Amino acid sequence: MSVNYIFEKHLIDRQAEAEEAMLKEFEAGNYTIQNPLVKYNLYEVSPLSAVICFETKKEVAVSVTVLGKTKEANIGHTFPKAKKHVLPIVGLYSNYSNKVEIRAYRGESNVITIDVPDVYDGENPIYHMKTTPEYLQDNVIMVSPAGLQLSSAFDYAGDARWHMNVACVFDIKRLRNGNLIMGTHRLLKMPYYMSGLYEISPCGKVYKEFRLPGGYHHDEFEMEDGNLLVLTDDLESDTVEDMCVLIDRNTGEILKTWDYKKFLNPETVSHSGSWSEEDWFHNNAVWYDKNTNSLTFSGRHIDSMVNIDFDSGELNWIIGDPAGWPQDMVDKYFFKPIGSNFGWQYEQHANVITPNGDVMCFDNHHYGCKQVDQATKNLAAKDNYSRGVRYRINTEDMTIEQVWEYGKDRGAEFFSPYICNVEYYNEGHYMIHSGGIAYDKDGNPSEALGAFVKDVGGTCRSITVEVCDGKVMLDLEVPGNYYRAEKLKLYSDGINLELGKGQVLGVMGHTKEFDTDIPMENSGEMLPESCNARIEEEIDRFTFFSRFEKGQMVMMLLEQGEEVHRYFISTTAVSYLAMCCGTFLDSDERNTRTSVNKTGLSGVYDVRVIIDDKKYETGVKITC
Amino acid sequence: MLKEVNSEEFKELAGKGLVLADFFSTTCGPCKMLAFVLKDVEKEFGDDLTILKVDFDQNKELTAEYGVSGYPTLILLKDGTEMKRLQGLQQKPVIVNMVKKHI
Repeated sequence: MSVNYIFEKHLIDRQAEAEEAMLKEFEAGNYTIQNPLVKYNLYEVSPLSAVICFETKKEVAVSVTVLGKTKEANIGHTFPKAKKHVLPIVGLYSNYSNKVEIRAYRGESNVITIDVPDVYDGENPIYHMKTTPEYLQDNVIMVSPAGLQLSSAFDYAGDARWHMNVACVFDIKRLRNGNLIMGTHRLLKMPYYMSGLYEISPCGKVYKEFRLPGGYHHDEFEMEDGNLLVLTDDLESDTVEDMCVLIDRNTGEILKTWDYKKFLNPETVSHSGSWSEEDWFHNNAVWYDKNTNSLTFSGRHIDSMVNIDFDSGELNWIIGDPAGWPQDMVDKYFFKPIGSNFGWQYEQHANVITPNGDVMCFDNHHYGCKQVDQATKNLAAKDNYSRGVRYRINTEDMTIEQVWEYGKDRGAEFFSPYICNVEYYNEGHYMIHSGGIAYDKDGNPSEALGAFVKDVGGTCRSITVEVCDGKVMLDLEVPGNYYRAEKLKLYSDGINLELGKGQVLGVMGHTKEFDTDIPMENSGEMLPESCNARIEEEIDRFTFFSRFEKGQMVMMLLEQGEEVHRYFISTTAVSYLAMCCGTFLDSDERNTRTSVNKTGLSGVYDVRVIIDDKKYETGVKITC
Repeated sequence: MLKEVNSEEFKELAGKGLVLADFFSTTCGPCKMLAFVLKDVEKEFGDDLTILKVDFDQNKELTAEYGVSGYPTLILLKDGTEMKRLQGLQQKPVIVNMVKKHI
């Protein structure tokens, strides 16, 4: 057969089987504090974690501590009293014989060894971490993927203490219940539209996958009631990254949808330097502000942060350089700068509303001007800068004042043309993550986005800084680009591990088809071996991987009698102006991946492929 | 009408009525697919629309004159004036809607 086929069980199913097997083994054995059952990386995606099981004669609280390379690097947690203990171990070191202390409250203790292989395959994931144990304590700085480097978290000493071995891309946040929320690793559509979100434990246990018809990209936000705002797409639309939904945390049901074309006209918005007709807004952040019951969206390709009313969806205000916008919009929605030190943000990311109503963001400052001004004002990477910035706005007299910034003085060394974030901890206490820094092959600052840097022989890096009252308290520098950074503790006061099978919630959308028929008879020939094709089927979709030569016309067909579904496969290199996450780009441009959701399909379909003037068999049938 | 033309023919026909120019390359998969789409579009509009296919690689001066930097690129002209431009492979409804707005 010229096409390899595999059925891949959902991660949640695989984890449930592994957990069940562990619990059976636990029940069958006599595991004590002195002799615990240890399952390294039980949930398969978090290779600096383990789960241990043992029984105590009495109900007793138990503390576990991953003993650090220094005492200050210990990471531990005390779990509530129980007789049967099934405990997550997080914060293990890579390539290290880890010592983990298990101590019963006022009782016995033991130190076990958990050997962990080099999860970085010989690569050093960090350049430096400059901070103190007093400042960072047992927090870690977690960074999420924008390229080939996957998620990691670093302690005060710069040691990696958490890592994921699958590409859960974009934002990572801690939920109020202690779990993490992050993008799934199931790619829906190139270049980076994912199936939805995972609610997941730091030890890798997925409790829920929230699937979305339009997939997930860039950002999500937990509402006070636990429901989630998620950035998504309308797969039937000709535009992308201009939609947000509110989903029910328990059911995954979509409760509310905001289509940005209802409050902005894509035809009249003013363009950023990276604007394209399809990706006219490029939404990279959402924030809900309870005080004003409003949503703020960051639109990279309009150089603006846009605020709307949560209930009505009506436009309230826009923060951005008004150049190029229609005058009636400028008069009604834009702010007038006041104060002596003010600068607009360009192609910004990660807007945040502070408790007093100020608006913060990471100002990438890409191009340093709007598209209409590029002929005269464009800033090259070597002359540019990025910064964290905080604006104070007055929505009565529509004035805006810049009240804080960090990064401008560092110039090009802190310049990221894409991605990045800021975090507000308290007044004067912030994180500024410049995760998209690039240099060309000669070591000069580059505007190339991380995914394309290696194509020109360059390098990329991320710098994460925390400042408190103007003083730098932490400086982390790592190789590679990282979408965002987040400071958190690996153990939480909420859920650390809950047993039982996770849930797959929500629905996948209908995959957009190609209308036009190419009249062609079946050749009966199998797809050529040179295509190196494979099909990976999952519960709710399948993905066709194949290699084609540039210029070939390729269409995948699902055929069931007279019923035909067509999916065009482009064999032309795409020139992307935005590539916030290049994790899924193939180094060989001939390789394609086409994912089709089963939603809307019913029955058994033959998968066939048209290449130019011939229709080939794959020999694979997909049951929907 | 759907016709492949050279620069001279294009200049002769582009200024007359509603013209959809398709700048394509023979080395481009999406361009080949668009050819099938445009055949369907032609059926939809009949004599109300002239579709002119221009080989990007063979007509460099013309592509430069129209500022076409990639293929496929569709340019809708009305009496020689550009009304709308679409880049990349498009589905039939998108093209039909664009044309209908200017017919």
